[in-house]
Amino acid sequence: MYSLSWLILFLPMAGFLTLSWSGKRFPKLTGGWFASAMVGGAFLVTLLMLAQLYAESPADRLNHVQTLYPWVVSEGFSLNLSILIDPLSVFMLLVVTGVGFLIHVYSIGYMHHDKEFTRFFAYLNLFIFSMSLLVLAADFFFLIVGWALVGLASYLLIGFWTDRKTAVLAARKAFVMNVIGDVGMVIAAFMIFEHFGTLNYVEVFKAAPTAFFPNDDNVLLITLLLLVGAFAKSAQLPLHTWLPDAMEGPTPVSALIHAATMVTAGVYLVARCNALYMMAPFTMYLIASVGVITAIFAGSVGMVQYDIKRVIAYSTMSQIGFMFLAVGVGVFSIGMFHLMTHAFFKALLFLAAGSVIHGMSDEQDIRKMGGLRYAMPVTFITFLIGSLALAGFPLTAGFFSKEEIVMSAYSAQYGNIVFWGLAIIAVGMTGFYTFRLFFYTFMGQSRTPEAHPHESPSVMTVPLMVLAALSLVGGLLGPWVHDFLSPVFGGATLGHHDDTMMEIVAVAAALGGIITAVAIYMTGKDQLAFAKQMLAPIYEALYNKYYVDEIYDFLIVKPVKGIGKFLEERAEKQGIDFSVDQVGKQVREVSRGISIWQSGKVRIYALNMVAGMVTILLFVIFL
Amino acid sequence: MGAEFVLFVSAAVFSIGALGFVVRKNPLVMFMSVELMLNAVNFLLVGYSNFLNSLDGQIFALIIMTVAAAEVVVGLAIILTIFRTRHELDADHIDVLKG
Repeated sequence: MYSLSWLILFLPMAGFLTLSWSGKRFPKLTGGWFASAMVGGAFLVTLLMLAQLYAESPADRLNHVQTLYPWVVSEGFSLNLSILIDPLSVFMLLVVTGVGFLIHVYSIGYMHHDKEFTRFFAYLNLFIFSMSLLVLAADFFFLIVGWALVGLASYLLIGFWTDRKTAVLAARKAFVMNVIGDVGMVIAAFMIFEHFGTLNYVEVFKAAPTAFFPNDDNVLLITLLLLVGAFAKSAQLPLHTWLPDAMEGPTPVSALIHAATMVTAGVYLVARCNALYMMAPFTMYLIASVGVITAIFAGSVGMVQYDIKRVIAYSTMSQIGFMFLAVGVGVFSIGMFHLMTHAFFKALLFLAAGSVIHGMSDEQDIRKMGGLRYAMPVTFITFLIGSLALAGFPLTAGFFSKEEIVMSAYSAQYGNIVFWGLAIIAVGMTGFYTFRLFFYTFMGQSRTPEAHPHESPSVMTVPLMVLAALSLVGGLLGPWVHDFLSPVFGGATLGHHDDTMMEIVAVAAALGGIITAVAIYMTGKDQLAFAKQMLAPIYEALYNKYYVDEIYDFLIVKPVKGIGKFLEERAEKQGIDFSVDQVGKQVREVSRGISIWQSGKVRIYALNMVAGMVTILLFVIFL
Repeated sequence: MGAEFVLFVSAAVFSIGALGFVVRKNPLVMFMSVELMLNAVNFLLVGYSNFLNSLDGQIFALIIMTVAAAEVVVGLAIILTIFRTRHELDADHIDVLKG
């Protein structure tokens, strides 16, 4: 049955090729359903793989490698296109294809006005293919191929509306930031090959524990370079600036790529390479620190933004920060658990936000919304469920996963009280910005009376309801997730967290954030005007995202542009161009002198010949 | 008739041909000068063939005559075409390949 696994890659690829070749000849909505069917098919095959894994004992579930095609075969190095089926890849694929399928269906409703409907679905299928390749790769080479391809799909989809300048610029920014990460990954792959002589996961991870000392320079360098890729893809500090801008893309793209799947690839990478990371405690501390700092950083920025999608984007960064905190302190399966619940509720929030934007005729500013609970009841309820899950309200999906993260931040192998305290702050912020957004959007009275919001069609609301159900009960999957994934993370322990006091504090922080937001924004109005004035400098810094974009602009973009301008004028115009021109001029001068001899007159040529002949004769005779 | 005589006549005819080719401007006359030069060589070849008791020189002379005949056909055709297009024949005016 594992031999069917190639279908997971084949179906979305076939969808992409069919849609892009047939193009606009494809009947409009059929194209969307076709693409969805391809992803749905991949989901079913993944379920089959899951069933197959369950037929075996936990210890046998690892390392099922399917070689599809021997690509490079040579002495000392060979490269096969092969697929690795194990609990971790199947788990990721369930999220990718499952949530991906729902978002495909939703997009049929969301994009049906768009002229380039088919192209959109072709790109979505390309993304699912790339992400599946990333997850299924059995070696670092195809991991990087998939890694770059999801970057490409992300670029194409962020810049989908090519007539919007901001979208094109955002796409370019995302691509450049991701390439920074790709470079790190490629160098890491070289180093891995140097040390292990192979890029194959199974062999590398088997050899890793004996190949290095803990905190060995080499393993530190490899893990840190891999981490550059992970941080760039997952929008962690300091490579995060592309993610908020990526919200220029269509909303289903934000839900699929920039919330549920692609941006969590960094977490997957660390979890996949846990054998390497367990050898590098220093890197683990770094991951946890960056994760928790990003969680606070993004959460604080999210508290003051007014664009509905940007708030959710910052919240995504913040939640991925939690995931990195979890894998950083050594509880990989809790990180993956949060990845799953986050995929549910964040996809839900994005899709519900898309429904709001759709209903408000492309309005994204929450100051112009308000009172939408009457006009859009389904969206209202599902958004509320998503918000509760995100904020970690007890018994929702987000509650279980985030609670486990906060507790392990203290009790896990690399945890300490500082991580715990910072995580608590971030949890409080999450509750606050989530419900600020919720009240702004749905409560109070409409702030733009001329708008006539309407509920979205059922092709959009049904995926919302499915995701809402998963966001409510997904938390119950926690024990299953840990049990299922435990063979992959053999060396890592979950740590015990039975400190009731700390749990109470964590729940209180979440509820505190929610209650603060309720107190301030319940009426749908901003009652913080006086506070904003008192804390004006802080507020300004938050509103401008800590000026990170401006700092990068000043430190990197402007100097690079300056160097480029200098080189253009000095090196290019006065150096290269000048010398090439001079060579040409000199050659022309010389040839002008020589060309006198080519008079075109036959008699002169004959005379020259005779003169030459005579000269040679004279030489022969007299010398 | 000694070898010196053959050499002298041949050199004289060749020089006349060469001089004619360089001095005259009419392509037809220049063409005839070329024939002079060729025949000077022929004369030398036949003469020495006789002195050396070998047929090689005569065979060469025959080959040169054949080639000269073929060359005349081509050359005259070219001159004729030039005259048809330019309505004049002056070797100094035909200098389109001037560098």
